[in-house]
Amino acid sequence: MKRSAIAQDFKALLFTLPAMVPLTVFWFAPLVYVIYLSFMEWDFMNPVKVFVGFENYQNLFSNPAFYESLRISILFCLGSVLPVVIVGLALAMLLSNKFKGGALYRTLMFSPWVTPTVAVSIVWSWIYEPDVGLANNLLRFIGIDGIRWLEDPNWALIGVLLVTVWKSAGWCMIFYLVAIKNVPPELLEAAELDGANGWRKFTNVTLPLISPTTFFLIVVQTIQALQAYDQINVLTQGGPAGSTRTLLYLYYQSAFDSFQIGEASSVAITLIVGCVVLSLFSFAVSRRNVHYN
Amino acid sequence: MQGLKGVRTVVRHILLAAAALIIAFPFYWMVTNALKTNDEIWQFPPTLWPHAPLWSNFADAWHAAPFARYIGNSVFVAGTIVVLQVINSGMMAYALSHMKFRLKGVFTAAVLVGYMVPATAVYLPSYIILGQLNLLNTYGGLILSNCVSVFSIFLIRQAFLQVSHDMVEAGMIDGASHFRILWTILIPLTRPSFAVLALITFIDQYNNYFWPMLITKDPSMQLISAGLRSFFVEGGAYGLKWPLIMAASAFTVAPLLALFLLTQKTIISSVNLTAGASKG
Repeated sequence: MKRSAIAQDFKALLFTLPAMVPLTVFWFAPLVYVIYLSFMEWDFMNPVKVFVGFENYQNLFSNPAFYESLRISILFCLGSVLPVVIVGLALAMLLSNKFKGGALYRTLMFSPWVTPTVAVSIVWSWIYEPDVGLANNLLRFIGIDGIRWLEDPNWALIGVLLVTVWKSAGWCMIFYLVAIKNVPPELLEAAELDGANGWRKFTNVTLPLISPTTFFLIVVQTIQALQAYDQINVLTQGGPAGSTRTLLYLYYQSAFDSFQIGEASSVAITLIVGCVVLSLFSFAVSRRNVHYN
Repeated sequence: MQGLKGVRTVVRHILLAAAALIIAFPFYWMVTNALKTNDEIWQFPPTLWPHAPLWSNFADAWHAAPFARYIGNSVFVAGTIVVLQVINSGMMAYALSHMKFRLKGVFTAAVLVGYMVPATAVYLPSYIILGQLNLLNTYGGLILSNCVSVFSIFLIRQAFLQVSHDMVEAGMIDGASHFRILWTILIPLTRPSFAVLALITFIDQYNNYFWPMLITKDPSMQLISAGLRSFFVEGGAYGLKWPLIMAASAFTVAPLLALFLLTQKTIISSVNLTAGASKG
């Protein structure tokens, strides 16, 4: 009996190896390594790493650039997650009833999500061109002129956010379409009998019932927003004047431009802690939801 | 009442048409601007359709940088990663869902931890490790460092959990090996999940920019996104050759839009599976 249990263990380990080996080398080892590096002073070139305790963290938390990046990361999260979820929901509501051409709209709205962020960001950077770009030409119709989208610190973040929302809204829409389809029609009919109009039906019946989807999308999109890189890299590279330098961007600038590996690692740790807290929170909430059901 | 409904339908169609225009216009703009001459593209006000479409811009852009090589790299790397992920996610998910072993709890927890850690946050240490393994700037490095995905494991595990364990037991009683059970019972039953895995992974890896760009310096190793970006910065001389940049963007985007149109049912169905997988 014992021998067969060992044989069973061995077989199972064999099945897990092809995933566990790369997972260990490229996920768990780097995770441990980045924690270690965050306590070191190192410039990439020097063979010697110097242990400095919490100095990197102390430096980071007393560095105004860190708080500026934190602020921009929070703005980036709010400015992308809220519009993406709201626009996604609005599109899904518009498309929830079956009608001719509905599937075509659905396909179209979703399509930006499959395209490479780099390529579409390049297209958007041409749309943002201040003189002959499409954006400013349209704005001229309503009397607004001369926004220097990607060169003005007041506008650059908005420019990056617009691309982000454009790319992800359709993805959220699909999730909402599924959720709306699962709303029991009896409940909507009952509300109608109670005299609820369209808006009341939406706020009192649909919205509460699809709240697990809303919650899921907010968490996933926030984690995405914290990791946004491609569009920032193409459109603004963190500039102008640091106005689009998120925590992730700060991390890579201090690592690969200034070679302050220790301090960069401490930024990485704050990002990891943020994402882990978010995920744990979402696990807890979704477990509670399952319980209620 | 009937009239109100009519108004509503009209409003709905106006809103949808406006949204569709906003979504589609950047693609339209990309293609039409790719057909303009350098003079026309800087003309004010911009023209909606080029005076004399310059189709040769596409060929010029294609030859201005090794785009065939970039796209080939992307397809090769993404394709190989898909094959590896199908294998290791299938095996791992099988062990986690239908086998009994001592470290099961630990491994499940490990996968969960992997799910929570943002990939981009560990690029710096992964880069150093890849360097120590002498895998920087190699196809091996590009492929191996992406050959496992926690999301894929979750997705397949979720699908395997839906398959009754009785079927696996029946297979064992018939004397089938675990490999045989996985290959002849589980995979055929969960093919839609594998299709989703393959498509989503392929798209992600084909588009992948940040990590491949970090670990490849040699232009001949670059994937399409990094190649396009270098063309944008160097070859395109930051906007001096916008028509060519738009043409290059167009042939970068086009294969993915085509793939999406052909497989949209599967890709869109991924939503149901993703929502399931994320619930653990």
